[in-house]
Amino acid sequence: MEFCNKSAVEAVFIYVKRLNMAKSDELAQIIIGCKNGDSKCFSQVVDMYASRCYGYFYRLTGNNDLSDELLSELFVKLVEKVGSYKGGSFEGWLFKIASNIFYDYLRSKQRRKKLLDVQKKQLESEPTEPKQSDNEQIDKLQIQLRRLDTDTRELIMLRFYSELNFKEIAQMRSEPIGTTLAKLHRGLKKLRELMEG
Amino acid sequence: MNDENQENLKELFEKFLDAEQAESCVEDVQKAEQILREHPAPEPDDMLIANIKAEIAMRLPARRTGVFKQIAYKSVSVAAAVIFLTAIGLRLFEKGSDEPGPVVYASIIPTAIWESDDIAADDADLAIFTTEIEQIEDELLVLQFGEDDANGDSSVSELEIELIEINSSDFWKG
Repeated sequence: MEFCNKSAVEAVFIYVKRLNMAKSDELAQIIIGCKNGDSKCFSQVVDMYASRCYGYFYRLTGNNDLSDELLSELFVKLVEKVGSYKGGSFEGWLFKIASNIFYDYLRSKQRRKKLLDVQKKQLESEPTEPKQSDNEQIDKLQIQLRRLDTDTRELIMLRFYSELNFKEIAQMRSEPIGTTLAKLHRGLKKLRELMEG
Repeated sequence: MNDENQENLKELFEKFLDAEQAESCVEDVQKAEQILREHPAPEPDDMLIANIKAEIAMRLPARRTGVFKQIAYKSVSVAAAVIFLTAIGLRLFEKGSDEPGPVVYASIIPTAIWESDDIAADDADLAIFTTEIEQIEDELLVLQFGEDDANGDSSVSELEIELIEINSSDFWKG
């Protein structure tokens, strides 16, 4: 019986592995199509990654409109930069662009904030987070995520939505893997405490 | 996160922590990620996706033009570089030709004279000079053997006069 279970697990494992290989082959073909300027291939990439990238942006900004904007910017950048993709993890490459777009947004927000601080002192008391639309409901997770620092929040979202392994994430962030691991563990532990508390 | 990744996670934590701490860390991560899964982010609007696809389709011809421009600029810059390098090469080559080239020897003496054994016949001046030398030789022999019937002083004087004449003449200047 145990033997049968082991065989079944192995069979599932092989099936998953083959499925992943087939998926990566399919993705490689799609990327080649994108490089050749095939709009259908770009549409396929949008279908494959829009949801995950949107989740990443939404959890970082907490704002639907802003996430829409950042997601559009991401795919525009994809069209512009797909020629520079030289292989390796496509998710890693795509989420690196997404991460750069998010940090660019943060920098521009900081600049805007500084400008407003100089012009109107009273704005200091107002929340800096983007306002929600009337029909938006902020979930508990989003509230607690705001209590984490930006870097930790970005790391958690990168890990969760990009599904990259730690080695790839550490490479992307140009830091030792131990640092990435420690930061993520600390952040997730704090998030869990906040959610459970 | 799939099981394979979780397994890697445990291995990774064990590189920095002891087994018990690593186990606890993996549990923290798993539980927190479970919370993330239980709170899915909103999905992008269908309209947004359609707009993105439309924008991509709109940008693609521009991208193709951009790619074409890039290729054209690259080709032009490569051509310019080739022309520049060729010009420099030619310039260097020309400078190189300023150096003494292979020496070409040509005889200024007609081959007929050069090959002739009768040099005296070929050059009138040379003939005169040769005659004078022979004359001087004869006179020297006369002096040497004392065959001069007059006193030796006159013979020596004559010889000196002849030598002065030879010296003053420009035959050797050509």
